[in-house]
This record gives sequence, structure tokens and C-alpha cells, in this order.
Amino acid sequence: MAERSFKEEVKKLRAGDGERFQGEGILAITKALLQSGVSYVGGYQGSPISHLMDVLNDAQDILGELGVHFEASGSEATAAAMLSASINYPLRGAVTWKSTVGTNVASDALSNIASSGVTGGAMVIVGEDYGEGSSIMQERSYAFAMKAQMWLLDPRPNLTSIVDMVEKGFELSEASNTPIFYMMRIRGCHVTGEFVARDNREPQFSDRAPVTPHREPEKIILPPNVYAQEREKIAQRLPAAIEFIKANKLNEVFPGRHEHLGIITCGGSYNTVIRALQRQGLSDVYGNTDIPIYVLNVAYPLIPEELVDFCVGKEQVLVLEEGQPEYIEQGIQTALRRADFQTRVFGKDIMPMAGEYTGQVMLLGITRFIEASSGPEIELLSSAEEVAALETPLVEEDQQALLDNVPPRPSGLCTGCPERPLFSAVKQVQEELGPFHISSDIGCHSFATLAPFNLGNTIMGYGLSLASSSSVRHALPHKAISIMGDGGFWHNGLTSGVASAVFNHHDGLLIVVDNGYSAATGGQDIPSLVEPNIIASTIDADAPRRDDYQSIEEACRGAGVKWIRTVSTYNIEAMKNTLHEALTSSLPGLKVVVAEGECMLNRQRRVKPMMKSAIASGKRIHRSRFYVDPQTCTGDHGCIRLSGCPSLTIKDNPDPLRTDPVSYVDNSCVGCGVCGENAHSAVLCPSFSQVDLVYNPNSFDRAKDTLRQRVIAWFRRRDEQRMEAASL
Amino acid sequence: MSDSSRAINMVIAALGGEGGGVLTNWLIAVADQEGWLCQTTSLAGVAQRTGATIYYLEFIPRPEDGSQPVLSLFPSQGDIDIAVASEIAEAGRMLSRGFVSPEQTTLIASTHRVYGITEKSATGDGTIDPAMLSEMCARYARRFIQFDMLELVGRHNTVVSAALFGAIAGSEVLPFARETFERIIGEGRGADANRAAFNEAWDRAQSGGVGLFDPNDKGDSSGFVLPDAHTAQGRVLIERMRALPVMCHEVVYRGASRLIDYQDLAYAEDYLFLVEKLATALDSAGSVALTEAARYLALWMAFEDIPRVAQLKVRPDRQQAIRDEVRAEPEQPIRVTEFFHPRVEEIAAMLPKRFGERLLASETARSGLGRLLGPRKLRTDRLSVYLIMRVLARLRRFRRGTLGYAEERGMIDRWFGAVLWASARDPELALELAECGRMVKGYGATRARTTSRLMRILDTVDREAEVSPARIRQLREAAMEGEDSAPFEGALNQALA
Repeated sequence: MAERSFKEEVKKLRAGDGERFQGEGILAITKALLQSGVSYVGGYQGSPISHLMDVLNDAQDILGELGVHFEASGSEATAAAMLSASINYPLRGAVTWKSTVGTNVASDALSNIASSGVTGGAMVIVGEDYGEGSSIMQERSYAFAMKAQMWLLDPRPNLTSIVDMVEKGFELSEASNTPIFYMMRIRGCHVTGEFVARDNREPQFSDRAPVTPHREPEKIILPPNVYAQEREKIAQRLPAAIEFIKANKLNEVFPGRHEHLGIITCGGSYNTVIRALQRQGLSDVYGNTDIPIYVLNVAYPLIPEELVDFCVGKEQVLVLEEGQPEYIEQGIQTALRRADFQTRVFGKDIMPMAGEYTGQVMLLGITRFIEASSGPEIELLSSAEEVAALETPLVEEDQQALLDNVPPRPSGLCTGCPERPLFSAVKQVQEELGPFHISSDIGCHSFATLAPFNLGNTIMGYGLSLASSSSVRHALPHKAISIMGDGGFWHNGLTSGVASAVFNHHDGLLIVVDNGYSAATGGQDIPSLVEPNIIASTIDADAPRRDDYQSIEEACRGAGVKWIRTVSTYNIEAMKNTLHEALTSSLPGLKVVVAEGECMLNRQRRVKPMMKSAIASGKRIHRSRFYVDPQTCTGDHGCIRLSGCPSLTIKDNPDPLRTDPVSYVDNSCVGCGVCGENAHSAVLCPSFSQVDLVYNPNSFDRAKDTLRQRVIAWFRRRDEQRMEAASL
Repeated sequence: MSDSSRAINMVIAALGGEGGGVLTNWLIAVADQEGWLCQTTSLAGVAQRTGATIYYLEFIPRPEDGSQPVLSLFPSQGDIDIAVASEIAEAGRMLSRGFVSPEQTTLIASTHRVYGITEKSATGDGTIDPAMLSEMCARYARRFIQFDMLELVGRHNTVVSAALFGAIAGSEVLPFARETFERIIGEGRGADANRAAFNEAWDRAQSGGVGLFDPNDKGDSSGFVLPDAHTAQGRVLIERMRALPVMCHEVVYRGASRLIDYQDLAYAEDYLFLVEKLATALDSAGSVALTEAARYLALWMAFEDIPRVAQLKVRPDRQQAIRDEVRAEPEQPIRVTEFFHPRVEEIAAMLPKRFGERLLASETARSGLGRLLGPRKLRTDRLSVYLIMRVLARLRRFRRGTLGYAEERGMIDRWFGAVLWASARDPELALELAECGRMVKGYGATRARTTSRLMRILDTVDREAEVSPARIRQLREAAMEGEDSAPFEGALNQALA
């Protein structure tokens, strides 16, 4: 069950011809796929296209009605390999993932399909995770498009253009027998807007209309076919693509009255360009511009003829291309020089090489361009100097004061997260056996590398922690430690990690964080399930049931692991002992600890409604949460340094003698019990209590409670009298 | 302001779980009903709940000819009409990112705090200064609307987004009718609570945010007056307190009261005697040092041994305090489980000095007892446990003869002696040494660490003849950097070199 449900929104996917469709970019893409008559869809979740997978998952009814086949692929490589269906048959299909990381994983299959060529339209929707809000290293997908020769679409970020370009993209793919990258930027994925819908189309082939199997041996990627395929790319597919792009006007030219200037931009940046021009009085809000603009909705390949046409009569053009290297700018230079055009091309010489083209960057760049290229005939509303000053109105002293007074908010584990007690345990074991070198991985557990845990040295990729420890293990004073999530384990950790480690007699420790979901990407299901935790709060609902689950432990045993233990993360003592044993054991071979604890976000989504209905139906249950006694807390916050739970915070000290804030558990506490476990296992302090609220108490509860209240009240009166007598 | 040539731009920073997504959807719906287009986008990042999510919205009248305006997806410096922050430090971040322009931006912020991890994890007080942020926001924003929205929605039992919605409407930067906003609320769940919060926030935004910031109001409680005595013994002590500088009255009064509750009247007299001794040594320039020394002396003398913890766990008002905190219904039974982890050291500390020392010296006794101790969960709502706690609390009458008392008293006397010594030389040095009392924190190993670091600072005082106040401050701050001993060791060695 994913974090966000689109059950309501997917109903919009049934919209027919002429209906106004309102929604998010991701939903619009899904609708466009259905309008294009896709036969299969797949992918692997990851920001910013996680919701695309969630939408597809929630839209299975509609997909089924149309005969569209959907798979939640095991990895991006799995998804990319799905595209092979379009090699021999006119089957349209689309897969999606986070790029560039997903593209890297998928690259083997992608290169091969790009070489074979396709008959049916094949599209990869890449969520370009670049710029603010990104969670990965900063690279462009563009390089991959160039080297494998796949076309790269980068449409203007309004829903009408987004939807049209999906449909045109399939046609382009089929016209040029080439698979396509369809690039969505972070903000474009989440943009809301509207477009006019068309009817959905049933795919030509599906489970109700099967294909006739046939072979095209020349499309198999063996020599000598591969040489022919490369020649075909250049001789046939590229010219066909250029012809299609020109004929269908996929790129757009917006004329303007200052014809000696021009701006060449990728579609994805078009809105930012218009806003910058508008702020300089050179465009209105409808995009009626004074400076001619050539919009590359197809970022690759470039169309030399269109470029040359655009530059006729232009003295200077500005190329707006996010990120580096500046492939498009280089391509434009080549095209113009070959045509012997002398138009001056500005680009990365006045624009930043690295980083996003935000509103401010764009405004400053365009202002500089116009100031550098034009005489006084173009009057700007603000000079480059004035634009640069917009960056901040703050005087330096105030800037410094803000630096000191705006606390950073690094990513961290959620309230009640099962990984918190695991890392508390690792931290405590480290105090005894450390310091540790730890190979970390991708997932929520990556945040253990940040405060307050500060555990982990390297992150090499999804499911690659164990693999990356293999080169350092011989040089460590302790057994190598790798931490991997269940998502990473199934993605490729089982093969590139576990199988390889066993084969190479790796005798280190692998901790598999088993929370039951691909949690960091929004809580999607994965092959394995997790047993419900035994934690402080009661409603320990049944496990999320699925008959067809695959077991991590069995998979490890199958791969040859002999030493394997499954431990609940919430049992810090047991976890410490198990880790200690694994790290000090003299037995040879890989030690695997499956650290089990259901993702708390998913658990809460499951348990909260059950809790509510149980209370409403009069069932006797209790709900736990934790409490810090402000009278015994001395305010050293050691508990926070060991936990970092969002609900374990601080508040002003109610004791007028004390000045430092006390620790405090707020009402978002879900009663996972880690505070108590830590208080015990780290011998912290006697300030933590678990408070259980009893709902629908029975008569025995009430009788006990009344008796207690009476006795305590009697003592209270006596205490109060004594205190009164002894007071000042 | 329904200028159709330019969009109205709004940026919202909300923390996880504050309903930023719901707020955005409400605003889209309001715009739609008013015949406007609203484009939104957001940067949610990963699924975790600790960071801020940024929403960006642009509003423009829907063109009658069906043409599509080109709206930006990026909030831009110098182009923001409304900036909204669900928490005051996030308002500071807006300011620091340049999203607040003096000539253009209306800034709406809730003044409550959600502490960041660096603030929470400091050994002492790592919190930032929100008043300074408010002051700066008021200076840089065209308009600054601020009030405690968390407190407001707490009263209406809903979430911050409802108050933000009201404040956005009430600021009237968006040219939409109040009724449209209200109508949108009516369509969701929990509508009544949201409407009540909306209405109150609307009113407060209209008045520019209530309680406009007064930089001189620091919530000072300097108006403390020594109360009249309730008892004969009290009269004597309070008279003695009157002879002390006014500044320290509150601390000394509360300290003495604490120690009567902790031990007995004689113990409070003992405390007062020490404070008087320091007062004599310091002149009027040393009132701050005297106050702080009196504060930490009282806190240290009321050190938390087993009888003290037991006493605090059965104190009369505790049950109600817990019930209020966890929001228990009036008749709802609650259970309270305490997490205790007594070690041999704590048991030895409550034994008579001789026995305690012998216990600690004997390996056999230690390991034997150790097996009986360890982590314990005790239900203090159970009568049996409650009564045991009361018995343990009563053991405090034997405290003066215990090993724990002897050890603590030895350290207290050493520290206080150093403050006395310094008071004769330099009130500033006395103040810095007095402030070292703040280091005494925690239980078990934490407590051993904090006090041993304090003792090592006192060693330095003994060793370095010309020790300066700045030196003491440097050592104290290094000592309070947490479990890692490197900063403190570094600071110690720095001067030796």
C-alpha cells in the first residue's frame, strides 16, 4: 500500500473526448499513455516519478478494462527489458524510473534495444531528478540519449503540451524505429493544470488479441547484425526522425519583433524564460514575446535545418540548457559552423555551468544576454546589477544573524521508525567494538549517515553496500559491516551482494533492514513481507497478508548463507547481542542479520482505522505513548542524541530553577517503545514512562482504578498537609 | 488587484504533517470557484517527515477567450506576493532565500516553534532566538502577519493548515471573497473545527496579527517579591533572605523550598548559610554570580538519588500532570510504566557510607547484586509499586549518612569552595565558575561524565595560577559538547601547550 492513494483521482482517467481534465502532471502522463493505446507499462518507483507508479497501481481496473498489461518491475533493468516486446511487434509500451540512477541500472537493456530498433512505439519516462529537491548525484540523462541514440523529449511544462508530446512521441518512435526518452523534471511532475481529454484507446495487441510470434534475426544484437544496426541508426533512423520532427512541428518557434536576437531553450525551461522576459517588459503573460524563441521540445536530436532557419538574420542567440556538459550548445555551434553561419552563440559563457536554471538564474542570464548583445534599442526594466541585487534584500549583518538562527532541517527517520532502534543498537555496539567503517546503501537507512547517528562511510548505489564492502574488508580492523534495505536487497543486492560475497568467502556482516516496503520512495510493495512488530502499542493488527510473498531469509539461504538471524529492531538488547555475536564470531562466511520492523508510516495507515473502529465498537483496547517526567529530566538531551525521533523534542523547563529545556514527547508519539528501550539499554535516566490509555474499560478495570484513585487520594491529602506544615 | 497581465505568486513552506497539500488543494478550489486559474507545484523530496515541503502557486484570472497563460514553476526572488511559513524559523529561511521583498511581499507566519535536530540535541540550550527572527521579518516584509497558529488550532482541535488558510484569506492579497474560502472548507471532513480556526485566523490577520512584536518584552519575571511566611520557621529563613541582594531572592527562595521538600529544614538552613557566605564575599557587582551560584547549589544539593526519584514519582500532582499531557478523558483509566535501570552504584549510594564502600570494593557482592538489578519496568499506577516507591522515598531521612551523600557533598564543597575563592578575586571569574554548576546533569554514566569533567575544570583552576574567566567559559562549553570527549580534551590541552 503506497503512501499516497490515487484511488479517487484515477477515476479521471476515464475522461473522454472534449472533457476538461484537471490534475497533476503525473496523472496527465498516465492519461496520455491510455490515449496513445499502450499495450504494456512498467517501471520502478523513485522520486519524482514514484507517483506515476502509484497511479498505475491504483488504476489497475481501468488498465484491465482496456487490456493494458502492468508490472511493478523488480528494477529499472527489469523495466527496460520489458521494452523488448516492441522490437518484433507493433506493441506500444512505456516504462518509467528515476534518472539518472535508474537509467544507469537500465543501461544494458537500453543500449541493446536502441541497437535492435523498435517496431512499436517504445518510451521511457524518466523523472529527471536534477536541482532543488533532488535526492541523488547531479547528472543529465542527455548523455545516455546521445551515446545510445535514443530521442529525448523535453516538452513545455503545461499539461496540454505534456499530453500531446506523449502521443507524438509514440508516433516518432514508430516512424524512426527508435526508443524514446520522455523527460519530466521534478516540478513538472508535480505541476497542476488542465487539458482537454481524448478517448482512451485499446491497444492493438493484448491478452484478448495476441500477436502471431515471428522472428526477425537481423534484430538480434549479435555480430554481424550489430554493425548493420549502427549503420541503420545513421542512415535511416536519424533522418526519419528529423523528417518526422520537422513535418509535425514538434519544436516550436515563437516570433518576436527584435529579430536580430533569439533564444533557444529546452521545452522544460520555456515557462521560466517567459517569466524572465515578462519581468523585463519583453513578453506578456500569454507568451507573446518580443525576442524570438525556438523551443526544443525534442532536446535530442537537434534539427540542423531548423536551427539554421531560426538563425537567419540573427546576430546573437542565447542557448538555455540546464546542467553540464553543454551538449546542446556544442551541437548548435556545429550546425551553424557547418552552414557557415556567423551568428554569435551565447550559452555557458554567461549562464552557470552547474545547477538548475531557477527564476532568478534565468532572469539574470537573459538580462546579461540582452545587455551584452543589444544596443539601447531594447529598454530593460531592470539592469543586470539590479537583478543581481534581488538575490537577497538582506544586509550582511542580517544574513549572518539568519545563518545562526535558522536551524538546518536535515532528512531524518520518521516518528516511530523501526530503523531508529536498529541504529541506536549499532551506535551502542560501536562504542564497545568501534570505531566502525560501514558501507551504506540507498533507502531511508541512508539517513543514518546524518545526525544524530552519524553511521556510514560510503553509498555506492541501490543494493550495492555489500558489494562495496568487498574491497575494504581485508583492510579493516573489524569485520566489514554493510547495511542494505529490503528494497535494495531485491533490486540487486541478492545477486551483486549476497551471491558474490558467499562465492568470495566474505566473512563480514550484512544487515538487511526489512521494513516490508520500498519505504523511501513512498511505501510501495516489494516481494517480501514483514512480520508485525511486537511494540509497545497494542493494536497489533494482523500482518499485511499476501499469499505470494518471497522470503529474504530463504533467498539468502538459497544463495549459500549459513549464518542468518532475524531480529526485531525494537528489541535493542537482542539486536545488540546479535550484532555483537556476528562481529566477534570465529565462524567463517557471511553473517546476515535481517533487522525486522514494519515501516511505521505504513503501519499507522493500517492500524489507525482499525483502532478507531475498535474504540467505536466498544472493544476494550489500550493505546500507548511515551512521556518524559519534567521533574526528573535534567535536560542533557542524551536521549535525543541517541534517537532523533521527531516526536521526542524539547520544551521550556517548567522548573523555574533550571534554565536548560527539558526533553519532551509530543502528541505525535506512536508508542513504538524505543525511548524506553534506549533508557534501559543505554542506562539513560528514570524519566521515561510509557502511558497506556485504556479505552472501553471493563468493570474490573474500573473497580481497580477506583480503588487506586482512593488510596492515592488519601496519601495525596496527607502529603499536602505535611508539605504545608514544612513549608517556609 | 485583479490585474490580468500578471499572476499573483505565493510560496508556502510547511513541515511534514501540517497539511500543506490540503491547503494547496483548498486554494486551487477557491481560485476555480472565483473564475481564476491556479497553477501549483511542489518540492516534496523524499518520503521522510522531518524536512520542509515548499509549495509554489500562481493565480491569474481565467481568460475569457480560452487562451492559456504561461505560468512559472519556480518561486523567484523579487517576484513573490505572499510568502507563508507554518513556523517562525521557516519564515527566517524564506527571508534568507530572498523570497521576501520589502516592496512587495506579505509574509504570513505562525510564531510557534518546531525545533530542529541541532537545537534538540545540544547538551544545554541549543535553541535559536525566535524573537530576533520576528523582528527581522517585520523589518523586511512589506506586511508581516504573525501569531501563534499552533495554539489557535490546538483550541479548535485541528491542524495548522486551517489557520494558514484563514490568515491567507484575511490578508486579502488574493482578491477572493471570504465566503468562497468558507464554502471550500465546508466540503471536507472536520469542517466545523476548520471553519472555527479559519474565522479566528481571518480576524487576527485582519488586525495584522495580534500582539504585534514588542522587542522590549522578553517575558521578564523580575517582579518577584519574597512572600510572607506561612510558618514560624519560615519567618526566620525569609528574614535572612531579605538581607541578600534582591536579584537573587527568587532563586534562593525557590532553592530553599526545594531543599525542605528534598530533605528537611536544616538542609535548607545549610544551603542558606552557604549562600550568605558567598554574598559576604561578593559585593553588589557580584549579584549575578551570587544568583547563579545559588541556583546551581540548590539544584546540586537536591541531587537525584533513588529516594529522590521515588519521591518525585509519587508526588501528589504527578498523576494529573500525566493525564493532562496524554489528553486522557476524565474517567479513562491510564497505566504508567516506568523504565528504571538501577545499577550497583546507585544501590551503594543509598547505603550507609561504610557498607556502600565495602559493597563497591567486593567483586562478589557487586556481581551478585548486579544479577538482581538491571532493567526494570515498574507500573507506578499499581498500588504495590506505588507503596514501594513511597517507602523508598521515606529512606531520604537517612540520606546524610549515605555513601552517595558523602560523595556528592565532597564535590559540591569543592565546586562551591572554588566559587568562594574566585569571588574574592574577580566577580566575573566567580560567575563563570558558578555557571559550571549547569554541567551537572544526567544519571548513571552521563552523570559520572558530567561531574568528572567539572572536577577536571576545577583541577585546572588549581593548576593554572592566572586562570581567566574566558578560560573557564571555553572549558565549560567544550565540556558540554556531548558524549564525545575530544572537544573537552582538546580544550584542556590547548592551554597546556
